Amino acid sequence: MVRKSVKVVVAGGFGTGKTTLVGSVSEIPPLTTEEVLTQASIGVDDLAGVEEKTTTTVALDFGRITIDADIVLYVFGTPGQDRFWFMWDELAQGAIGAIVLVDTRRLDASFPAIDYFERRRIPFVAAVNTFFGERLYSEDEIRAALKLNPVAPLVWCDARDRYSSKQALIKLVQHAMSQLPAAVQSSV
Amino acid sequence: MTRDIWYGDDEGEAGRFVPLYVLVNGRTSPRNASLDLATQVIAMPVDTRTLEPEYAAIISRCWTWMSIAELAAYLNYPLALTKLLVDVLLDRRFLTVGSPAEESVADRGILESILARLESL
Repeated sequence: MVRKSVKVVVAGGFGTGKTTLVGSVSEIPPLTTEEVLTQASIGVDDLAGVEEKTTTTVALDFGRITIDADIVLYVFGTPGQDRFWFMWDELAQGAIGAIVLVDTRRLDASFPAIDYFERRRIPFVAAVNTFFGERLYSEDEIRAALKLNPVAPLVWCDARDRYSSKQALIKLVQHAMSQLPAAVQSSV
Repeated sequence: MTRDIWYGDDEGEAGRFVPLYVLVNGRTSPRNASLDLATQVIAMPVDTRTLEPEYAAIISRCWTWMSIAELAAYLNYPLALTKLLVDVLLDRRFLTVGSPAEESVADRGILESILARLESL
């Protein structure tokens, strides 16, 4: 058997609890890896047109769950800023799927993430924040507001809670399995 | 590998990594195209005494299977640079690599194993 790694992406708008969820399921304290981007831009005040360089750092928080001796699962949070789509592409490439965290006080913050995964037909679950205990809206109301594809599962999730976060992960893996081509499914 | 360090005049955050880019001899993208931040690598049982410290630092953390993202996090190197360093070490056979994520994701057996493990957490 060869060593394999698998990935799950955790997405959602700023402040929806991505790093919290990663920390709740990870067997190690969440790590942060950074990409340093150097961009050249022409200095506006410099008449000689000398290029200035600005550096942007894109940070990803992630955790790990060892499945067995041959398989390790990484849970990667998407960068805080939506515009670094090239990083999303790398995270999503070959991933099982995604958990998109949804805050009912700011539904629109999750639209870019939902759109991203729907367009690429990447399996995802919408995990609705229950940080504040109350479920202010029904599942149907949230689905309608998010314009969520009926195929995508919706779960309630407290990202601070290990059991709740684990359930969201389980739902995603089950959903991904159901999306496998029929030939693969029938080979059980 | 020859050591050719250039301490350039770029004092910014990116400048701190310039010597490391020199170490990869101008390679700007990995030759191993399937290297991804979750890719698993492990050290081969070879003599590392002639390796530069930056490469030795990577090898020393790969006594067990390690992902490129974890290496970048532990060493505090940018992700792209870490990939390049790992790429060179793979070419030179100081490291060996696990299988790419794409192969695992469509395998029902692997997903079953993951489900079983998650349920037991």
